[in-house]
Amino acid sequence: MQVFETTVVLQGNGEIDMKNRKVNIASEVEKTIRLADKMAPLEVNPLFRVRLMQRIEQEPRERTHSLDFRLAFIALLVIINLGSTVLSLQTKKQQATAMSSEVLENLSDDYTNQEFAYYDQTNENQTP
Amino acid sequence: MASKDKLFRSLVAEHQEMVVNTCYRFVFNREDAEDLAQEVFVEVFRSFEQFREEAKLSTWIYRIAVTKSLDHLRRLKRKKRFSSLKRVIGIGDPAEEIAAPLHDNPADACTDSERTGILLDALSTLPENQKTAFLLSKQEGYSNQEIADILKTSVSAVESLIHRAKKNLHDKLYKYFTDH
Repeated sequence: MQVFETTVVLQGNGEIDMKNRKVNIASEVEKTIRLADKMAPLEVNPLFRVRLMQRIEQEPRERTHSLDFRLAFIALLVIINLGSTVLSLQTKKQQATAMSSEVLENLSDDYTNQEFAYYDQTNENQTP
Repeated sequence: MASKDKLFRSLVAEHQEMVVNTCYRFVFNREDAEDLAQEVFVEVFRSFEQFREEAKLSTWIYRIAVTKSLDHLRRLKRKKRFSSLKRVIGIGDPAEEIAAPLHDNPADACTDSERTGILLDALSTLPENQKTAFLLSKQEGYSNQEIADILKTSVSAVESLIHRAKKNLHDKLYKYFTDH
């Protein structure tokens, strides 16, 4: 009977602890969300407008500078592209010339071969 | 040109407080908020001719402020991801781990900084439209109609966004405090 009563008391304590914990969590959540309401409005720095106007006065110059850089970068890209195209065309041309000269050389080699020199040989044989 | 300058100066004078505070809502940091506000006004100055009067001028300016703030948060997120990657590789800079102060008053910083960090983390997990609607609704001067104009949506959609943001935030924070 005493064991049963102790178990009931312990269970009761556990439930109370659980309930307290839930209440604590809920209050923490509320406090945290309330921070967004609590935020006091900022007084704007008196130098804010002065700094802003300085920045605005520098603005057109900065913009033209950035435009210059952009133009220079685009020009550089175009030059690189053109250069690489010219280079690749030149190498192709060189390769083509090399190949044609090689073919011509092979052909001339083939026709100067002894096996094809039949007429020359017969001519040589016929002469006394 | 002189009239444009004059108009711009009066615009800055009229809206600087609202713009700085809007950015502050998003970044929770004075210096960053002022830097962002400067960027907002530079953008306003640059694209002043492109303003089509489809919306109120103030709405257009606050929309730029929201966009710049969200961009800043995205950049921070990327930086955080990159620095954690660098830490994994072993080339991380420990100075990057030191957070910027969130308060001008050190006493507030002691009591609230941890909680603010938790709130910021929870906010960063919200979808951008929910986060924007929620944060703007917490700032004085923004009606639901104005938030709807900034987000280019209806008032009922804004109400729904705020409701969902609060619920998501609550759930995320509840989970955080249960786990810790």
